[in-house]
Amino acid sequence: MSADLLYEIGVEEIPANAVLPALEQLEAGISQALADCRLEAASISTYGTPRRLALIAEGIPERQPDSVGEYKGPPAQSAFDEQGNPTPAAEGFARSRGVAVSELEIRETEKGRFVFVQVKRPGQPAAEVIPPLLRQVTLELTFPKTMRWGDRDIEFARPLRWLVALLDDQVLDLEIAGVRADRISRGHRVMGEKMVEISSSSAYLAQLAANGVVADHREREKMIVEQANRLAEEVGGHPRIDSGILTEVNFLVEHPTCIRGSFAPRYLELPAEVLVSVLEGHQKAFPVENPAGELMAEFIAVTNAAAGAADVVRQGWERVVVPRLDDAEFYYQHDTRQALVSRLESLKRVTFLKGMGNLYEKTQRLAKLVDWLHGEIGLADEAMRTTAQRAATLCKCDLVTMMVGDSKLAALQGIIGGLYARASGEPEPVAEAVAEHYRPQGPEESIPTSPAGQLLSMADKIDNLAACFRLELIPTGSAAPPALRRQAAGIVEVIVGAEYSLRLSRLIHYALELLPLPANEKTLSLEQAATELQEFFAGRVQAAWEQRGISYDICRAVLGVPWDDIVDATRRAMCLADLKQADPEAFTELVVAGERPARITRPESLPDTLKVDTSLFEHPTETLLLAELTAAQQKVQAALSDEEPDYPAAGEALRSLLTPIHQYFEDVMVMVDDERLRLNRLALLSQIDQLFSRLADFLQIVPPVS
Amino acid sequence: MVFEKLIATLDNYWVAQGCHLSYPYEIEMGAGTMSPDTFLRSLGPEPWRVAYVQPSRRPTDGRYGENPYRLQRYFQYQVLIKPSPDDIQEVYLGSLTVLGIELQDHDIRFVEDDWEAPTLGATGVGWEVWLDGMEITQFTYFQQVGGIPCKPVSVELTYGPERLAMYLQDVDDYRELMWSDDITYGELRYQEEQQFSEYNFDTADVQMLQQLFEMYEREAKATIRAELPLPAYDYVLKCSHAFNLLDSRGAVSVTERHEMILRIRDLARQVAELYLAQREELGFPLLQV
Repeated sequence: MSADLLYEIGVEEIPANAVLPALEQLEAGISQALADCRLEAASISTYGTPRRLALIAEGIPERQPDSVGEYKGPPAQSAFDEQGNPTPAAEGFARSRGVAVSELEIRETEKGRFVFVQVKRPGQPAAEVIPPLLRQVTLELTFPKTMRWGDRDIEFARPLRWLVALLDDQVLDLEIAGVRADRISRGHRVMGEKMVEISSSSAYLAQLAANGVVADHREREKMIVEQANRLAEEVGGHPRIDSGILTEVNFLVEHPTCIRGSFAPRYLELPAEVLVSVLEGHQKAFPVENPAGELMAEFIAVTNAAAGAADVVRQGWERVVVPRLDDAEFYYQHDTRQALVSRLESLKRVTFLKGMGNLYEKTQRLAKLVDWLHGEIGLADEAMRTTAQRAATLCKCDLVTMMVGDSKLAALQGIIGGLYARASGEPEPVAEAVAEHYRPQGPEESIPTSPAGQLLSMADKIDNLAACFRLELIPTGSAAPPALRRQAAGIVEVIVGAEYSLRLSRLIHYALELLPLPANEKTLSLEQAATELQEFFAGRVQAAWEQRGISYDICRAVLGVPWDDIVDATRRAMCLADLKQADPEAFTELVVAGERPARITRPESLPDTLKVDTSLFEHPTETLLLAELTAAQQKVQAALSDEEPDYPAAGEALRSLLTPIHQYFEDVMVMVDDERLRLNRLALLSQIDQLFSRLADFLQIVPPVS
Repeated sequence: MVFEKLIATLDNYWVAQGCHLSYPYEIEMGAGTMSPDTFLRSLGPEPWRVAYVQPSRRPTDGRYGENPYRLQRYFQYQVLIKPSPDDIQEVYLGSLTVLGIELQDHDIRFVEDDWEAPTLGATGVGWEVWLDGMEITQFTYFQQVGGIPCKPVSVELTYGPERLAMYLQDVDDYRELMWSDDITYGELRYQEEQQFSEYNFDTADVQMLQQLFEMYEREAKATIRAELPLPAYDYVLKCSHAFNLLDSRGAVSVTERHEMILRIRDLARQVAELYLAQREELGFPLLQV
């Protein structure tokens, strides 16, 4: 016999972004708790709206199965006397397990003879086991932010107002935060009954639906998309649905009803980015596009109202959207009345980071940084150098405009700078570089397309990172804030994506040197900051490689030898990963060839000056290996001397050393007592290790099992 | 529904819910939260149920009277109840019904909006209430005030009566709002908006305001030392308004802004602690009521 569980936590509207994560925790928590109590459910599903987190678990055993527990007691010797009579130790043990002494048995173990007992535990009814589990899982839910209410001490995302807890048709005995579980749910605020008596879990969705609540969020999402498409089609367009906005609005409603509103066509003269931001950012509405992909003077809003209210609701929405567009239009006209460059003066009044001067000074550093980067990378296009410097000077000016100052439009920073640069008559490449210099802001966003934008993107990010590390504002390692990690990841993406060969350590040093001397005392020295920042980057480089499918050990191996030129290091990592994929046997040979010399020479901490003296050779194999090594060195040198190094060829040359290396270890005893001989042999092997280290540290690689 | 009727309707409704009616506090302030009726009374264990209108001054919001929605001085209708009742959302929605808003004809939503007043050391958790996409009320469970955790928690409802009235009267400009049956909001207040905007943005004496800020701060500190938190709080409010005026004159840099906010918050915190200590000495009299 099995039973079905319905559990619904009724709350005041919890934040839209908190519902899905809470449902995931609820499902995982209850599934685990049931399994731990031997009450595993056949299936579990969850449903969420702003006012309820619900879970249905079907096929739960009505009782736990009976079980037998085995317990070990005292040693047999102390439990029974020589006549075989129980001692107080045996009686105490039996009492503690609730059995008679006669039920004790003696068994041999590795540590001698011990008393054991088997205790039968009858299974408990699910209705008694489950309530404490529900309570515990509920109280352990975590939210981005919690609150208290009334005079209670409990913390939750929003006040908890009702609980439905049914096992089949039986109400479970449960109380949380002063709320007793019952079978009474709530209908939609205006479309349903205030109280809805739920008869059983199988009737839950239908009974709520009859009271205006579509509890299944997947179903609501379908309804939203379908309605939005239909409404847009009526005016010959289609909705532009941002997936983040879709999720957000879905968890703002219990019964979605889309409405289509319109605004005066003159607002279409606003830049498209601004228009979209107003609709999405302020009102969480979907813009509508015509078949040519141009915005139309329409929007689609997702409401929580009854379909019959649509006309009134539409008028209300239009009345709200228009002033927002008015604001944006006002900002645009106001902001573009003055040239973007004239705002540099205002940047002097905006602090960058406390102790690191103002934003004007930052733009001056950025101009120097892009200039330096241009030279360091060895770019030929001199006009681009000027473009990047101009863009660097202007790129923060939009932060003091009214448009970006509006918190709901602040995400348009950069983009607005680009629009205003254009409106101020700046050259198009300058405007473009300004517009895209924050990119990439996450793994989904591509790097800037223009070279000037790429240089500026790197400059802006390295300046932020250098300042934060110098001020010791960041915990390092995995605790570093995601924003800082994104900055470093952004630089790595630009370097790899645009193939900018440069030495990262030099960039880090240059950026740190440009910063003002921090005034407060708690700072890292320039060298400390440089070291920590370089280390921080290693983590980002590895993450970037792993994202490209390169295995962990190859990442560690390449990062185990100098990787300062990230483009070059990436080529090496890709080359090894490709080889591993395409020819696992050759890959293993390469790894084996590389690791033997490393293993024997590295613990010896040999002096750098050590040279191979052929007059000390005793075996022909030594001469042979040196000849093969010299040939390999020449091949590797040839393969890597070009602008585009040929790492596969270098790897092939290294792999060819496998046989002579094997032969060498067969024939030659390296660690002999004669120090001159020993050092000479180590010198030869050390040269081999150095040659392999041009690619990676092969000791770090876990060879594939063949 | 004319503006004065809207206020009177809310008064009647909240009185029926057990609130006592209070009146505007007579010192310039940016929001109803800053009135001692909310800021100080939300502290400590004493129950409290109050409703009042608070004229609110936000100099930077001025638009010389010309923007149909933005004013540098407007009204907030404020309700504060401690401890927060379990059915407060339903009670709140009831207040919309008495204003003539038939809920089933509209889209009502509670959209997450956590609130923070840096100058008051206050934070809360709650929502913007949307009526057909328009924010009409800020609904907040106080978590901390003056740096002191709230226990029990107060719930604060802040209505924007102009917005609500414009909606109910179906007008798109505050000037056209009927204040009473025979006079408009614009006729009463347009000239004031023009003049105050000009004063706030263009003519207020920056040096004098800076001196006033310093003087008010000194007086607040001295009054706190004299263990008189209620008068001291007046000077905290005056500091805050002087700061807002300096801000609208563009005379506050970002760094200064941060520093001045911290100075005001520090005063507010001291007032809150002193007030609470004195209520405790008195044995929290309202617990006895």
